[in-house]
Amino acid sequence: MPYGLILPVVVVLGAILGYPIYSLVRLSLQQYGLFELIRHQGRYVGLHNFGLVLHDPVFWHTVVRTIIFTIANVGLTMVIGTLTALLLVRVSAWVRILLTAGLVLVWAMPPVVAVQVWNWMTNYQNGVLNYVLTELHVGNFFHHDWYATTFSQLGIVTVLIVWGALPFVIITVYAALSQVPAELVEAAEIDGARPWRVFLDVTMPVIRPVLLILTSLSILWDFGVFTQPYLLIGQPAIHPGNYLMAIYLFEEGYFKNDYGRGAAISLLMLVIVAAMSVVYVRKMVRIGEVQ
Amino acid sequence: MRLRVVVAAALAVALGVMAATAGASTGRQQANKLTVWLQVDAQSGWPDIVAAANQQFQSDHPGWTVDVQYQNWGDHLQKFDATLAGGNTPDVIEMGNTEMTKYMAAGAFADISSFKSNFANSANWLAGLAKSGMYGGHLYGVPYYAGSRVVTYRTDAWSKAGIKALPTSLSQFTSDLSKLASANKGTQGFSPVYIAGTDWYYAMSFVYDYGGSIAYTHAHKWVGNLDSKASIAGLTAWKNFWLAASKASKTSNEGNPAPYDIFSQGGAGAIIGPGWFSCCTGTKYKSVTAQFVMPSHVRGKAMPGFLGGSDLAVPAPSSNKALAADWIKDFTSTSSERGFQAKGNIPNATNLLGSSVNERAAARSWFVPAAKHWVDVENGNILRTMLSEILGGKFTVKQAATLASDNITATLNQP
Amino acid sequence: MTRRNSSRTLWNTIGVALFVVMVFPIFWMISTAFKPDDEINSRTPTWFSMHPTLSHFATAIHKPFFWVDVKNSLIVVLLTVAVAMVLSLLAAVALAKYRFTGRKLFIVLMIGIQMLPGVGLIIPLYVVLARYHQVNTLTGVIITYLTFALPFSVWTLRGFVLGIPKDLEEAAMVDGSSRLGAFLRILLPLVAPGLVATSVFAFITSWNEYIFARILLNDQGKQTATVWLSYFLGTSKNTDWGGLMAGSTLVAIPVVVFFLLIQRRIAFGLTAGAVRG
Repeated sequence: MPYGLILPVVVVLGAILGYPIYSLVRLSLQQYGLFELIRHQGRYVGLHNFGLVLHDPVFWHTVVRTIIFTIANVGLTMVIGTLTALLLVRVSAWVRILLTAGLVLVWAMPPVVAVQVWNWMTNYQNGVLNYVLTELHVGNFFHHDWYATTFSQLGIVTVLIVWGALPFVIITVYAALSQVPAELVEAAEIDGARPWRVFLDVTMPVIRPVLLILTSLSILWDFGVFTQPYLLIGQPAIHPGNYLMAIYLFEEGYFKNDYGRGAAISLLMLVIVAAMSVVYVRKMVRIGEVQ
Repeated sequence: MRLRVVVAAALAVALGVMAATAGASTGRQQANKLTVWLQVDAQSGWPDIVAAANQQFQSDHPGWTVDVQYQNWGDHLQKFDATLAGGNTPDVIEMGNTEMTKYMAAGAFADISSFKSNFANSANWLAGLAKSGMYGGHLYGVPYYAGSRVVTYRTDAWSKAGIKALPTSLSQFTSDLSKLASANKGTQGFSPVYIAGTDWYYAMSFVYDYGGSIAYTHAHKWVGNLDSKASIAGLTAWKNFWLAASKASKTSNEGNPAPYDIFSQGGAGAIIGPGWFSCCTGTKYKSVTAQFVMPSHVRGKAMPGFLGGSDLAVPAPSSNKALAADWIKDFTSTSSERGFQAKGNIPNATNLLGSSVNERAAARSWFVPAAKHWVDVENGNILRTMLSEILGGKFTVKQAATLASDNITATLNQP
Repeated sequence: MTRRNSSRTLWNTIGVALFVVMVFPIFWMISTAFKPDDEINSRTPTWFSMHPTLSHFATAIHKPFFWVDVKNSLIVVLLTVAVAMVLSLLAAVALAKYRFTGRKLFIVLMIGIQMLPGVGLIIPLYVVLARYHQVNTLTGVIITYLTFALPFSVWTLRGFVLGIPKDLEEAAMVDGSSRLGAFLRILLPLVAPGLVATSVFAFITSWNEYIFARILLNDQGKQTATVWLSYFLGTSKNTDWGGLMAGSTLVAIPVVVFFLLIQRRIAFGLTAGAVRG
């Protein structure tokens, strides 16, 4: 019975991803550049690609930078997201509709367009951000270059990504909150429990699986994010000093047509992400076991 | 049970749609169809010339159609790589001249040397462009069109600043800068000449003007040359000129923001870039827009300008090579080239050259090293990083140039 | 009673403030779509246009292939979401309620697949689709989007199924004659919020996907709306910012419509009923 239920998914994924995954592993063990691509024939070099990558200091700096970046993004997204979902429960219906509509609009914006708008807002020449900050007398931000340092660049990217990630988290956590039995919450409040205790004892157990899912997914996505930093910082300003993992993979592997190296980096990324999220994944798998 | 029916129905619908649309799918080239990849510049700039070439081709080869698919500069190479892997490349592809060498060295293009005499004006092709299409003595790319760099300026701002004549030397230009700056003190952030901080096309012009270069070959190996005395002199001259001329962000590039937007907002007395910049200087300053050639540090000479351009090549896996070459012949005919020229471009042959500012600037030009891995130097932003380090004061000119030069040597000498 | 009201006012204020901050870039996009070109490029930013214009919207709608590409996007995305929801719900139920060998492996695979960097898969995926003659077809794109949507949907829906309180589960099993059929009938309203979130996510991710659509689809008549948008950015000269913003605003409308339809019909009404018991 259960096999019949999962069969369609297995068939679709196997038919399409089977070869690419196999090919990724095989490519990582080959010398495969533009020359080999045209002739559809690579040259076996064993673990040479992995050796090159692991001995490259840029790789290690990028890993550390991306881990810090991921922690910052996931932390901000989950904390602000959960708090806002809790807020949604407590506001009047009109505010709820307003906020939800706004969140869906944000969510619906294609990343390419969102980057363009943020680019304008943080523009050196005539960006709204500089204008507003100067007008509010926060300081003199005329012609402030938000992209002058790596920290500033990645900071703006973080704001963009968290902004774009919040709608999904808020709406999903809010959906999970609707599964919390209202009577239990009321009972606890009547008993005199503080809001924090109510949250921990009544709400958390119900939404815990969803929070774990969102956290594990956020780790995956933020670690492997590509479009926003690549477009917002801009290809001309990308260099080894501000690489994030997916950009490093794209630049060193695909932009430079070194597909073997790209495949090796992909597999290493997989290992690192798996290590980062193993705690959450295990909890998710185990939750099912208790039943 | 009801649910199972629903599931089965959904899958059936999906499969039905797949079957219906599969009939229209083509993984292979259809018979009698020539696939051409041009950049969107052709779609918006000269669609009539494309149509005329297609018309000519179709009347010469009855039963054949031409399918022109427009590409963006940003991702066209990734798409091309995917088609090379999948075995369904187009028959003709437009490539930027700096993109050619890497693909020629990898054998991505068909050898079209035997068709050379068919192409119009091939004996007089512009040296800079023609070189980009040759590898190992064989012809792989046909010059399509070129563009050089000129100074686009506001005649009203210059005359108000008391500048009587256009500068004929770099030092004269530099003194004009201070006149422009003092005349526009009231406009916050005004640039006498707006130049992006990491515009390496412009910075390298100074290097070549002072007798330096980016790299050269010696005993079959590439040697980075930005740390030579001449190159450093050029970079220093560039740094001093830039700091006096431009209020742009030191980390900005020449694409974003577009210099002509700064011009149209009244934020610059002049901008430096391709000749077609004059199209987009805004309604307010349209009538006072004019151009001149950037002067060298040697009085009376022009500073060498970067010769940008495109070539047309035939991917090696194509099964219609002779027809592809014929289409290229139609698209680069003398009348087509005259058409490109009328839109502000530089045509591909010396006998067609006119005397527009753009074309005069092309008389003295420089080009990137014809190295297999040059594209990696560009994509790795080695030059841009060097320029922003110099402007920001992070390194001295000598330090930054030495770092970049070593980096370039290592990159160009990869296997 | 008064304490409730004053704290509600506080929450409402925070909610509205949050709305303003979150929506500001959207406001900027829409306001730019109505500005004439010289206001878009002005030295100091303008909040509301003094001379609003509809010309950018006209340009966008009349830009070649607008309606065709929007239609293509709708076909691709609706099919992807429909198939993904059905298949992943079945799989999620199997994972959450049955014990079978290979179950743990399947779960780990669902999250493991999502750890693969998409950038690394582009070319091998293209080669596979070329082999099946699915390049430059809408079905090729649908299949590709399914491989992204399925692992995520299975993973997320499983979480929602697990979150259902045990007594409701037991009630479902007692009532039903056939275990699976009745179970699903009771289950659906309870998982509805999860279905909403997952289907909206699948819809939006597929609707806004660019890289694979760009690489797989060559004919402009077969491309999707996001690829159509990229043509505003493509030329080296004079990008039409007003047109791009107007086009983006138009392209975002179907997503909002989809969300409004889904959420009103399924989520909030039905769950109120389930919790009552």
